[in-house]
Amino acid sequence: MDDGIEQLRAEHEALIQFLYLAPVGLVQAGIDGEIAMINPISAQLLMPLSPDGCLSNLFTALEGVAPDLRLQCEQYPRANGMVFEGLHLHLHADERKRAPQILSLDLLKLDARRIMAVIRDITAEVRRERQLRQSDAWLNAILTRISDYALVSLDREGRVCEWNESIARVTGFGEHIVGSPYSMFYPLDAMTPEHLHDRLREAERNGWSLDEGPRLRADGSQFWGSALIAPLPDREAFCLDDPEAPTGYEPSYCLILRDISDKRAATESRRQAAFCDHLTGLANRRAFFEAAELELDRAAHTPRPLALVIFDADLFKHINDRYGHPAGDRVLCDLADALRDSFRIVDTVARLGGEEFAVLLPSTGEEAALAGAERLRALVATRLVATDHGEIAYTVSAGIAVLDARDGEPGGIDGLIKRADQALYLAKRSGRNRAVCWTPNLPANEDTPKRSRDAG
Amino acid sequence: MTTATPTFDAPGLADLLDTSSPEALDALDFGVIAFDAETIVQRYNATESQAAGLSPQRVLGEPLFTNVAPCMNNFMVAQRFEDAADQGVELDDTIDYVLTLRMRPVKVKLRLLAAPSGAYRYVLVQRR
Repeated sequence: MDDGIEQLRAEHEALIQFLYLAPVGLVQAGIDGEIAMINPISAQLLMPLSPDGCLSNLFTALEGVAPDLRLQCEQYPRANGMVFEGLHLHLHADERKRAPQILSLDLLKLDARRIMAVIRDITAEVRRERQLRQSDAWLNAILTRISDYALVSLDREGRVCEWNESIARVTGFGEHIVGSPYSMFYPLDAMTPEHLHDRLREAERNGWSLDEGPRLRADGSQFWGSALIAPLPDREAFCLDDPEAPTGYEPSYCLILRDISDKRAATESRRQAAFCDHLTGLANRRAFFEAAELELDRAAHTPRPLALVIFDADLFKHINDRYGHPAGDRVLCDLADALRDSFRIVDTVARLGGEEFAVLLPSTGEEAALAGAERLRALVATRLVATDHGEIAYTVSAGIAVLDARDGEPGGIDGLIKRADQALYLAKRSGRNRAVCWTPNLPANEDTPKRSRDAG
Repeated sequence: MTTATPTFDAPGLADLLDTSSPEALDALDFGVIAFDAETIVQRYNATESQAAGLSPQRVLGEPLFTNVAPCMNNFMVAQRFEDAADQGVELDDTIDYVLTLRMRPVKVKLRLLAAPSGAYRYVLVQRR
């Protein structure tokens, strides 16, 4: 008898230790998120995120990075099943070494009252995937049967060295383009002078640089193209690192420009799934943080202004409460359309969550960012959204922050977002339907980002 | 010579714990985990053993932050010990935390103790 109890005790202890040691986070909670059971890895991953320093509620702990969980769990239509499978949660970029940046969340609805979650740190995994994706894109560009391409030699400043037939075939440009920067193949709002150099530098560092997007022909028409830039192997012979060297048009890079309009549909739909916000089709948090990381990295190497505007639909909760969620969704889509139309191709327009949107503007100072935000704000104020309950008017508020050496380092994208949020909070406080720029004397309240959302 | 049982927030606690007998550690009303520079658990008192549901033999000799208390393996706890060691400074800080004792979230205060000259580093656990 005693042996039986002793054996049970030992088994229980082994089971407890098994759960302590499981290398993934496991949580069982009520449908309202109230945590019933939780293992140590969950605490390791969730404690740094928890806004209240508690682990009583799973949804509260994840509120800062996944504000819609509670709602989406509530709205899950089936009696049981996977609500999310491998949902990527992007944590705020953190300077601390080894801090996780991306978590994966599985959420299983057990029944009407209970859920279970699996949480994993997939930062390293995603980084590897990203590298693979880049290699894929590169191989794709090289190996896909090329119907036609333009081969352009560029000097170390990215200017066209020589003209040839292939340039005329693909783009229609004539010999006069020799000496012009390769940005002439891009629509005006798809390239900045800084990006022109970024791509050369990235080609230098990685061996190649590839981007896809709209390209321009001589007659002003556009096509969907890929541009692969690779440094020429014997470029050292052309005094690459010698600032005194004559900057004639010696070739330093090779640019392969291809018309891939046919392939665009396929590529786009692949990108959509992983990088688009489901409702609005804008960039999602994942795409936004990837773009932000790249731009901050570029700005750190070659200083230039970088602006962030956070837009928030005013009193959105009232719209939802009064007209219902479908009408609210229409408003969000309308705002997304307005944002897409108002900003440049080179800007990243993203939905961060709920009614909060962000636009990242490379090589843009405060004045231009404010003008852009004002333009969008004014545009929205004139629009009406058709819904089942008639036409709805709405407004937006905006907070603007600019990466500027003079204001001190804001602390990565997280710091920049915080500043924009503080400005947004002031815009809300001052009556909404306005755009406000961050200044160093704005109150740096830790709670501001959260309250700015609650301020409607 | 005092025989009073030291409290969780007593100053100079690390020195006292370094020289305490196993029985004295077990008599404390807060959890004591002592580990070495390689994070291997060297001492584990009865209070902590009961709260976690793990007997000392399952814990002693194991690396703390990966095999015993992975919930502390982040910048809030583990990193603090590493930073203190890297900088050769003393660590004595008390933070609010949540442990997952027997898979229940339990609010605790953690006192983190480390000194360059100390025999052990300590995580002390008190329920709040």
